[in-house]
Amino acid sequence: MSGEDQERFEDYLELERYIDELQAGRVAHPPSELTPSQVRIYRMAALFRSASPGAAEPRPEFVAALQARLEQELEEEGGESTQKLPVLPERRASQAQRRPGHVSRRALLGGGAAIAASMVVGAGIERAAVQVANRNSSAHNPPPKGTPPKSTAFIEDGVPTIWHFVTTVAELGKNAVRFATNAVVGYVIFADEDADPQDRGKIIAMSAACTHMGCIVQWESADRKFVCPCHPGLFTEYGKVDNNSGQRYLFALPRMETKVEDGKVYVKVPID
Amino acid sequence: MGTLRRKQVVGGQAEALALGQNAVDVQEFQTLYQENLGLIYRYVYSKVGNREEAEDLTSQIFIKAVRGVDHNRSTASIQKWLYQVARTTIADYWRAYYRTTASSLEELLEAGWEGPVEEEMIFASSQPAERVQRVLQALPEHYREVLTCRFLLSLSIRETALRMGLTEANVKVLQFRALKRAADLEHVVTRTV
Repeated sequence: MSGEDQERFEDYLELERYIDELQAGRVAHPPSELTPSQVRIYRMAALFRSASPGAAEPRPEFVAALQARLEQELEEEGGESTQKLPVLPERRASQAQRRPGHVSRRALLGGGAAIAASMVVGAGIERAAVQVANRNSSAHNPPPKGTPPKSTAFIEDGVPTIWHFVTTVAELGKNAVRFATNAVVGYVIFADEDADPQDRGKIIAMSAACTHMGCIVQWESADRKFVCPCHPGLFTEYGKVDNNSGQRYLFALPRMETKVEDGKVYVKVPID
Repeated sequence: MGTLRRKQVVGGQAEALALGQNAVDVQEFQTLYQENLGLIYRYVYSKVGNREEAEDLTSQIFIKAVRGVDHNRSTASIQKWLYQVARTTIADYWRAYYRTTASSLEELLEAGWEGPVEEEMIFASSQPAERVQRVLQALPEHYREVLTCRFLLSLSIRETALRMGLTEANVKVLQFRALKRAADLEHVVTRTV
C-alpha cells in the first residue's frame, strides 16, 4: 500500500464519529472514498458493535412483520412472480437520497453517469439472461408444468426497441466500447479471427450485466476480458464464461442485435 | 433436511431464478425462516452495526431470496443460496465506500474484499460474537481493553479515558489502531478454527 494509508488526525475523529453513532444505535455511515484498509477498520467497528450485549438480536416485531410480508410475497408469487423488479435497486435509490454523493461514487466505479440507472436494469437483464439460458438448456430439461414459455430473445417479444448509436467502426478498433442507455449497459466489440466462426468479422454487442447477480462487468483491455467487480466472474472478450472464472454457474453474457450503417455501429435496445 | 416441492432437480442458481413460479409450501417456508432469520440478521448486523440498516438489509435479502429461489431445491441448498444473497447484498453496501482509482479493483481483491470462499467459511463456521471474542483474545492488552470499553461495555470516550488513565485524544488514536490491528488479525484468527 502507498502513502494513502498514512494516519491523519481526521481519521481518528471520523472513526470516533462513526463509533459514536453506532453506540447511540443510529444509522452510521463511514466517510466516503476510503482505501481498502480503511474500510476494513470501519467494518471491524461494525463487527465489534454487533458483539455489544443484546445489540444484534432481531426485534420480535421485526421478525413477525417480515414473516408476514414474505408470506404475502409467496402467495402473490403463485401468479406473476417473474414480472417484479428485484428489491435491491429500490434501496439504492433511497440510499442515494439519504447520502448525497453516493450515486456519483458509484458512477465513478462504473465510469459513467448512467451506471446508477443501469444497476437497476442489471438485475432485470439478469432475469432476461436467465430466460435465454434456460431456453438453451431446455433441450435437456423440459420446463416444469405450468411454466409459461420462455422468451427466446434477450429483449422479450413486444418490448419496444430502438437502434442506439454506440460508436463508429473506425473508433471501435480492437477494444470493447461501452454503451449505456436508460435501460441497458453493454459493450460492443469487433469479432476477429479468434472468435467463433459464425461471429467472425461481425460487430457483436452484449449486455454488461454479469449473469451471476447483475453487477456491471468491466472491460480489462490488458487481458481482453470482462471482469465482474462483485464476485470473481470472468468473461471472454466475446462474453463467454472464461475458463478461469472463479464464479461458477455462470451463463454467457447475453447478446444483443447490432447493425452498421455508414460506418456507424448501432445496438438494438429496449426503449427505457 | 426436507425438500421444498422437489418436482424436478435443477442445478445452478441462475436457473433457479427463472423458476420461481411454484407456490412454496408455507409451513416449510416458516421453518426455513425461523431457522435462518437470526443467523442472517446477526450476520448483517455484524456488517453494518446498526439496527435500522440491519432490518432493512435483512428484509431485502429475504425478499430477494423468496422471489428468486427455486423451490425445487433442497432446503440445504436454499439456505446456501440465501447466504449468497446476503453476502452479495453486504458487498454492495460496502462497495459504496471504497475510493475508486484505476488500481482499486486489484487493491480490493488484495484486501480480501468479500473473497467468496473464505467469507462463506467464516460465515458458516462462527457467529459474529464468537469472532469478536477470538479477535479480542489475539490482541495486545491495551488494544483489547480499549475495544472492550468502547464496544462491549459501550463506554464513552471520556469514561474509557478515565478508566484507562489516558487522555481522550489518546483513546481516539488507540481505538483506531486497535481496530486496524483487529482487521489484520481477523482472517488469521478465524481461519485457524
